[in-house]
Amino acid sequence: MQNFINEFTLNFIEKNRYQYIIEGFVNTLIISLFAVLVGIVIGFLVAIIRSSHDKTGRMKAGNFICRIYLTVMRGTPTMIQLLIIYYVIFATVNIPKVFVAVVAFGLNSGAYVAEIVRSGIMSVDEGQFEAGRSLGLNYRQTMQFIVMPQAFKNVLPALGNEFIVLLKETSISGYIGLTDLTHGGDIIRGITFSAFMPLVAVALIYLLLVTGLSWCVNKLERRLRVNER
Amino acid sequence: MSGNVLLEVKDLRKDFGDHSVLQGISTQICQGEVVAIIGPSGCGKSTFLRSLNLLETPTGGSVIFEGKEITAPGTDVNKIRQKIGMVFQQFNLFANLTIEDNITLAPVKLGLMDKEQAQKRAKELLGRVGLPDKADAYPAMLSGGQKQRIAIARSLAMNPDVMLFDEPTSALDPEMVGEVLELMKELAADGMTMVVVTHEMGFAREVATRVMFIDEGVICEENTPQEFFEHPRNQRLQDFLSKVL
Ligand SMILES: Nc1ncnc2c1ncn2[C@@H]1O[C@H](COP(=O)(O)OP(=O)(O)OP(=O)(O)O)[C@@H](O)[C@H]1O
Ligand SMILES: [Mg+2]
Repeated sequence: MQNFINEFTLNFIEKNRYQYIIEGFVNTLIISLFAVLVGIVIGFLVAIIRSSHDKTGRMKAGNFICRIYLTVMRGTPTMIQLLIIYYVIFATVNIPKVFVAVVAFGLNSGAYVAEIVRSGIMSVDEGQFEAGRSLGLNYRQTMQFIVMPQAFKNVLPALGNEFIVLLKETSISGYIGLTDLTHGGDIIRGITFSAFMPLVAVALIYLLLVTGLSWCVNKLERRLRVNER
Repeated sequence: MSGNVLLEVKDLRKDFGDHSVLQGISTQICQGEVVAIIGPSGCGKSTFLRSLNLLETPTGGSVIFEGKEITAPGTDVNKIRQKIGMVFQQFNLFANLTIEDNITLAPVKLGLMDKEQAQKRAKELLGRVGLPDKADAYPAMLSGGQKQRIAIARSLAMNPDVMLFDEPTSALDPEMVGEVLELMKELAADGMTMVVVTHEMGFAREVATRVMFIDEGVICEENTPQEFFEHPRNQRLQDFLSKVL
């Protein structure tokens, strides 16, 4: 017990080392939150372009660009994407690393969100779309008021899952020298040479975050399910 | 024949790839008519009906609605569809919306009524279809017969000039067919112009003003129900009737 307290003091209290964890925690939160938002915007946009092309045959160029984007984002490791965006694309400009990370993870997540949302749109019965159009609603109105709400509900669990994956994937941010939660814990390990305390602390914080996120998604899911009985 | 011509179909054709489903259909539908369409499965009844409101794009011929050729390029299809109601075999109620919102969505979003007017109208219509207490329910909570009656109410909320029915009772349990047919009968009695694809020969005989038999992509015979059922002339119609009656 005394040993535990000593370890704890050494890793977190001495020289205010807990601040590495706090800084990392804040950065991880910021990166995840904004990357999710970027991912949602890109994902929905791409999904709408792709499924509009499937349904109407229009937007050929848009569809083509989207497909290239999806292929690249899903066909290469996230880590490489992060490194390329930092060392190649933003090499000559001086911008905050957190911003670079948001761009990288947002772009990456957008690809997965896009395919999730597209599968959701396809899962909505064609009759729903036809009923909307038969009443005189145009394509956009039918998608907005009838198809998308149902698609969103259908894919909410998959989207929640994607956000959990994203949150955990930000742990590679250390590779561009950014102090995220993982890197923060690792800095402490480097100073104190004790692995258990900082790494387990970091793991517990991730676990807490993921559990909280799952809880929110579940709650939203249940709220959206009122129309099923 | 009653009233003026509401819908005119001229040499309507529809191909799916190299499968020619409609091979030149011509007919007229007048105001107040109730036209029943019968024919063997896969003969193109749905395709014909769906061509009337351009859910299917015809590959040839023309459809003229209230004097306007709606198959002409540049037609505002959405505007036309506001006046042509459609009721589907699978009901297709909006699963994400309450019954009231199902009925009010289109009139409100299309700017025909404000929210309050639409809700009032929805209430009236729910009374008319005999489901006044279902405004706040969701479609999944209703029986098939109730769903179809709501679908009819939703269609009526747009004040259509004609209503298209594609086998409105075919997906229903037998004990629910009656309530829907009864409602359709009332609509007909109120003077609604209706085009009904159906397997319900009783309905065609009693309610329709004209019955149409489609086979192999053309209208083989159309006549008053009396003549149609008592003295069918077309050989294929005779065979068909002997199987279904
Ligand atoms: N979107 C489509 N693509 C290809 N073929 C189609 C399509 N829609 C219908 N068909 C074909 O056209 C033919 C006519 O179909 P339609 O649904 O109009 O028949 P129907 O008379 O309504 O039949 P049922 O009594 O079974 O409803 C069928 O052979 C069908 O397979
Ligand atoms: Mg059919």
